[in-house]
Amino acid sequence: MMSKITQSVLVAALAASVAWVVPTSSVSAQDIQITGPLAGAPAVRRLRQHRVGRVQLVVPTVGFTLQDEFSRSMIVGLGAHVHFTDFLGVGIWGGAANFANAFQINTDLTSQVMVNGQTTDRNRLSMPSNEGFDDQVGRLLGLASAHLIFAPLRGKLALFQGAFVDTDFWILAGFAAAFVEERADVGDGSVCAGTTSSAACLATQSGADARQVRFAPAPMIGVGLNLYFNEFLGLSLQWRAFPFDMNSAGTDESGRDANGNPGAGFPDGVIDSQDQRFYFNHMMNIGLIINLPPEMEVSD
Amino acid sequence: MLAMTIGLVLGTGTVAAAQDADMDFGAGGDEGGGDADMDFGAGGDEGGGGDADMDFGDGGDTGGDAGGDDGGGDIIGDLAGAEPEIDDPGGDRPARTSEAREEIFAVQQIYALRINRVELTPSAAFSLNDPFVSHNALSLGLNYWWTNVLAIGVNFLWYEGLEQESDLNFFTRRSTRLAVPVSAYQFGAHLGFTYVPIYGKFSMFNEFIFQWDSYIVGGVGIMRTRPVPVVDPEVRNFDYDIRVAFNLGIGLRVFVSRWLAVFGEIRNYMYLEQLEALDVALGDDRFQQDTWTQDSPAFTSNVSVHLGLTIFLPIDFEYNLPR
Repeated sequence: MMSKITQSVLVAALAASVAWVVPTSSVSAQDIQITGPLAGAPAVRRLRQHRVGRVQLVVPTVGFTLQDEFSRSMIVGLGAHVHFTDFLGVGIWGGAANFANAFQINTDLTSQVMVNGQTTDRNRLSMPSNEGFDDQVGRLLGLASAHLIFAPLRGKLALFQGAFVDTDFWILAGFAAAFVEERADVGDGSVCAGTTSSAACLATQSGADARQVRFAPAPMIGVGLNLYFNEFLGLSLQWRAFPFDMNSAGTDESGRDANGNPGAGFPDGVIDSQDQRFYFNHMMNIGLIINLPPEMEVSD
Repeated sequence: MLAMTIGLVLGTGTVAAAQDADMDFGAGGDEGGGDADMDFGAGGDEGGGGDADMDFGDGGDTGGDAGGDDGGGDIIGDLAGAEPEIDDPGGDRPARTSEAREEIFAVQQIYALRINRVELTPSAAFSLNDPFVSHNALSLGLNYWWTNVLAIGVNFLWYEGLEQESDLNFFTRRSTRLAVPVSAYQFGAHLGFTYVPIYGKFSMFNEFIFQWDSYIVGGVGIMRTRPVPVVDPEVRNFDYDIRVAFNLGIGLRVFVSRWLAVFGEIRNYMYLEQLEALDVALGDDRFQQDTWTQDSPAFTSNVSVHLGLTIFLPIDFEYNLPR
């Protein structure tokens, strides 16, 4: 099968050869004529363009974060995309994690720490008590993003050789704002000195001021597959990643030695941003697509 | 006419069955300024009742290829659109020196037949669900397709030397005094069935066509694993042992050619793992191996992402039925 590229190159090469051999005055475009009804035809005709000139609402999106260490997040959100062409658009998306932390989902690791974790003089600031460990773990509150969306592939799929749906594959890149609730900074770790956890020490874990909300900017990338059941409704399957630093355990991890090198001076007796570690946060989403206006364009 | 002569020479089947309609779009003559003759000759012989044969010349199979890149065209519209160009008087233009012809067919063939072909699937696998250890592996699969949608096969994964333990266990041990038992894998070998319920094609920029399909895979096999001593590493040492494992997954395959494709797959390998005991026995019992592991095995699932290539053998194949 000769692809269009090969065909074009061949035609160009032949045309160049003819132009070189034949005097200019007698050159004619009819020297090479590709016959047949498909000559010069685009790969697809009457393409159903679900995106161009439309607003694509994705309401709601429901998703779960993946590879969580201490807390999981179920994120319910909504998104909107506007497309300049059928393959390029801009969009916004936002979601609340666990309905803005109305409930918490602990990982098995957190549950194990709450049961089997041990507080000693060495780690008292990191974990004033094992039973209250879930009060100090970092949790996602919500996410918002603005992004470019690029849909290079569109087509259709057959399901069990019976149902056919239009489909496109897209990627996105943009910026996200993550809102994280973490253990509040503890500037003076001496409150947790001693052989038992004092009330002041326990208050840094479970007290009224033991939590703080932080805004964390992050890049966001994602890929997805949209399935269109008709011109109006569809289903979106998405994977999104939004890496940023956080202190997911609420523990004292940082420390510097006499030379200022990190880690060697652990623990440094302070809980602050230095204790954050890099996390490649990512999630899976599924969403209902509503395209507006309901009618789509069909290409020539 | 010269066009008819060319058509006969090129064997464009002017003898047709009853109700067959042969359309010959052979190249027009040169002296006529590019006129095209259309031959709707109908004959009657062996009676292929009701068939409609449209022959656009004997050129390559470019247009009619099951790649489907041209199949969506409006044939009548094309014919109508081509008319003015063909009728262009241009009496003084020189004779054409070459031409290309295309064929289109009413029903497109499956782009890449799988039936009775063997599929080799080298891939790299990465863990998706374990924050403690990333069970990376190199994998090779071998499938035999006994229909176009159903295959039986085996896949082999080699983990040892490729796994990576994250810092999480270290930080958790240091900050909470809790050791989390983890496992190391050596290899896995699995028998599986693959079924393709979903297939389709993608257009890229209205220029290129990619065939793709989605499949589910599942089966049973073995994994050779061992606990990694983290609670009492000074004393405990574990050997690899065989576990029975089940696997289930979904995948996406995008064809680059009729024998080569790229694929991505999410597959969950589930088995019962014997984990290290969290308690350390006192005295001489500490050295008794039966105290090193937990009393009951733990259900473990390793969700892996496979990214790799699919190579169909033999590279060439023949369709059973003509176009």
